[in-house]
Amino acid sequence: MIKIPNSRTNERMPKNSRRTLRSFSTSCALMFAFRAVTLGMIIMMSAATPARAQETPRGKALGKRVLCMCGGCEDSAGLCNHPGGTFSGPCETARGMQKDLDAHVTRGESDDQILQAMVEQYGPTVLVEPPKKGFDLLAWIMPIAVPLVALVLVWEVVRRWRHKATLAPAGGPSVSPELLARARQEANREPGREHDE
Amino acid sequence: MDILGSFALLLAFLAAVYAVLAGIAGIITRRTLLTKSARNAGMAVFVLVTVAVACLEYFFFTNDFSIVYVVEHSNRALPGFYKFAALWAGQEGSLLFWSWLLSIYAFLVLFLNRKRHPELMPYVGVVLAGVQTFFLTLNNFVATPFRVLAGPDNAGVMHLAKMSEGHGLTPLLQYPEMVIHPPMLYLGYTGFSVPFAFALAALLGRYPGEKWIHITRRWTMIAWCFQSIGILLGAHWAYAMLGWGGYWAWDPVENASLLPWITGTAFLHSVMMQEKRGMMKIWNVWLVFTTFMLCILGTMLTRSGVVSSVHAFAQSSIGSWFVGFLIITFVVCFAAYWKNRDYLRSDNQLDSLVSRESSFLFNNLILLAACFAVLWGTLFPVLSEWVQGSKISVGAPFFNKVNVPIALFLLLLTGVGPLLAWRKTSFDALRRNFAWPFAGGVLAGIIGFIWGFRDIYSLLCLILGVFVTLTIASEFFRGARVISARDGTNIFTSMGELTMRNTRRYGGYVVHFGMVLIFIGIAGTPFNKDLQKEMGVGESLRIGPYTILCQTFDHIETNNYTSQRATLEIFKNGKSDMMLFPERRLFRASQITETMVAIQSSPLRDLYVVYAGESPDSGKPVIHAYLLPLIKWIWFGGIVVVLGTGLALLPNRRTALVLRPAAERSWAGTLAESTPAIGAVARRAEGHD
Repeated sequence: MIKIPNSRTNERMPKNSRRTLRSFSTSCALMFAFRAVTLGMIIMMSAATPARAQETPRGKALGKRVLCMCGGCEDSAGLCNHPGGTFSGPCETARGMQKDLDAHVTRGESDDQILQAMVEQYGPTVLVEPPKKGFDLLAWIMPIAVPLVALVLVWEVVRRWRHKATLAPAGGPSVSPELLARARQEANREPGREHDE
Repeated sequence: MDILGSFALLLAFLAAVYAVLAGIAGIITRRTLLTKSARNAGMAVFVLVTVAVACLEYFFFTNDFSIVYVVEHSNRALPGFYKFAALWAGQEGSLLFWSWLLSIYAFLVLFLNRKRHPELMPYVGVVLAGVQTFFLTLNNFVATPFRVLAGPDNAGVMHLAKMSEGHGLTPLLQYPEMVIHPPMLYLGYTGFSVPFAFALAALLGRYPGEKWIHITRRWTMIAWCFQSIGILLGAHWAYAMLGWGGYWAWDPVENASLLPWITGTAFLHSVMMQEKRGMMKIWNVWLVFTTFMLCILGTMLTRSGVVSSVHAFAQSSIGSWFVGFLIITFVVCFAAYWKNRDYLRSDNQLDSLVSRESSFLFNNLILLAACFAVLWGTLFPVLSEWVQGSKISVGAPFFNKVNVPIALFLLLLTGVGPLLAWRKTSFDALRRNFAWPFAGGVLAGIIGFIWGFRDIYSLLCLILGVFVTLTIASEFFRGARVISARDGTNIFTSMGELTMRNTRRYGGYVVHFGMVLIFIGIAGTPFNKDLQKEMGVGESLRIGPYTILCQTFDHIETNNYTSQRATLEIFKNGKSDMMLFPERRLFRASQITETMVAIQSSPLRDLYVVYAGESPDSGKPVIHAYLLPLIKWIWFGGIVVVLGTGLALLPNRRTALVLRPAAERSWAGTLAESTPAIGAVARRAEGHD
């Protein structure tokens, strides 16, 4: 992967003048720098080899959408972490599941297809979230529908209470402007007392 | 001693049953002697349950492994600190602990009010004793903590037996916060029994006015505060102990503790509508009933294993008892409400949509929506299994998706609500109150976006957090400025004076500020990073500005556990910054391994390092490092919430205004008689709370 462009550069070198020699030395330097950088990257990558299996970004994301089916944890396969186990990291089941997911991703399957395959293999409990179809759709609808219905009810209550309030003062006794002014003045005088929290 | 403990529990049960029966008889026959006798029996329950608790603790401290509960939850090498906490490590002890805390509350309520509210207290005593009867039934006949070890000999005759060593305490519980977290949560659960008892008593006895609310305000706040501390300590325990870099997993038991907290919060807000305006009486009564029933549901979910949970150390088939008690509670509450519903009739009027009243309505709507969403998600697997025959999972992503928008809306209301006036707020007042906080929020949003807050929810949380903080600050500042101008004191002294004059209001603002800090802490979650790497001695890994260099791995031996420890040197931006020592402890008695996370905490971020053990593939030690932004704000916010609640519990400092001659104050009464609306303002101006 890294050697191909460099070997091509090497092949072009012999038939050139001073100018090409200069460009040759430049390209040599560039090549050296490139190799140094790639070598550094390889060292860094090998140093940072994760304990988890090599994951594709999509596989990693999908790993968080399926539960680890080991039966000993409630984590997703991607975040499996056994606090009381011999190893506090992904268990064998989670690593196997993650590997399967990556294999599906490599085969170019869509997210839905992969999740469906997991459901067929492990049953519906494998999905971290309820599926958005059939009876399980209710899980998603109700937390939106119930507050909306409640909002309508609150709105209706507010409407009724406001109606009452507009009717109430009509029959109430009158207050002299002096008394009203004094009440307002007193109410504003004491901070922290004008209205309670 | 086991006989003493068992007898004490049995007598406590009988005393509770007597308190119910004699209390009812006293109410019906109106005989004071019977009522007093019922009250004394109610108080005696506390003494008897205390004896039972002391007996069980005695068994733990004397390593008496003839008692099954002690065998299952202790061992000789267990430190005394944890032997004490082993009381609530299992089913039987937890339920005994519930009974004990409830009996403490009941004792305090009955004792402190023994010469007050003679019409109300007999009913309160009956309700509290009724709840105690249920839990003491469980303690005596379903999950007795004093079961002794016994086995048959060759002839089939049963003999008492004794083990030489116990199985030990679950290692997950061997952490200092675990000694504090369950009692706090239980104090919250049991504490809500007090406002429940008063509400039901007031309804049953048709006790006039809003007095039950005044009496229970502090009890409710204390229970709410304990519940808040319990929830936050649980979150911190999960964070510091489980080694997964998180603090809230939406586990059913966690959710169960959140539900009554949410309805309790709604209740603390909506009672103000009843106190100030005489509105929402039915709502408040049902809110407190619901809170209590959610406390029982929470205990049931923790104890029964109806839904799967990581809190699996406390599961059994006790759920049907709780279901029965919940049904009885609901039937009693509904019957009391139906019979006395005319007592709750209130004159609800709303002058404007833009008012404190409507903000409370929406606050309650949002809180109840959150409560429903959490309850629905928690119980949906059970419902799905019942309807479809197959179980499904409802995990953290579901709860986050559903609850984050609700929580952000609630945060918005936290800023808007307190600045709206009772009855009606003019457009000018709105502009005056909200212009600067709104501008500040937007500015913070722009800065946050530039700084890297690219997650929409986090950005919104930052904007709203700054907005709410500025509204709170402006409330303190405006009030203090008036006092400062009048008394000539500096602005900070004036703020102190202002706060002490109305502790409830300004303590409430401090609680709101604490909640803002918690929200900001949560907003850091999308920016979490983690890296797991096999690391030998001398190897390093880099995460954010930190480089972690592995220096050594060693062993530590104690009587209770053996530990593998990694010594890690942390470099920050290339400079040696600190040492961290993550551990893995293998507890001898239970043979279970636990991680002890090493955390370097700062306001900006936590560096959280776990020694995960040896890789199953290569056998090399694995270090898992997390970089978790803003987590510390959550714990700091929790402390602010507790301080704010403490402040709100203090009595108001009396001002010179209250001492004015009665004749001069009479104008407010005149106003109240003529026009209730203005009278209410006038009374508040006069210092009536």
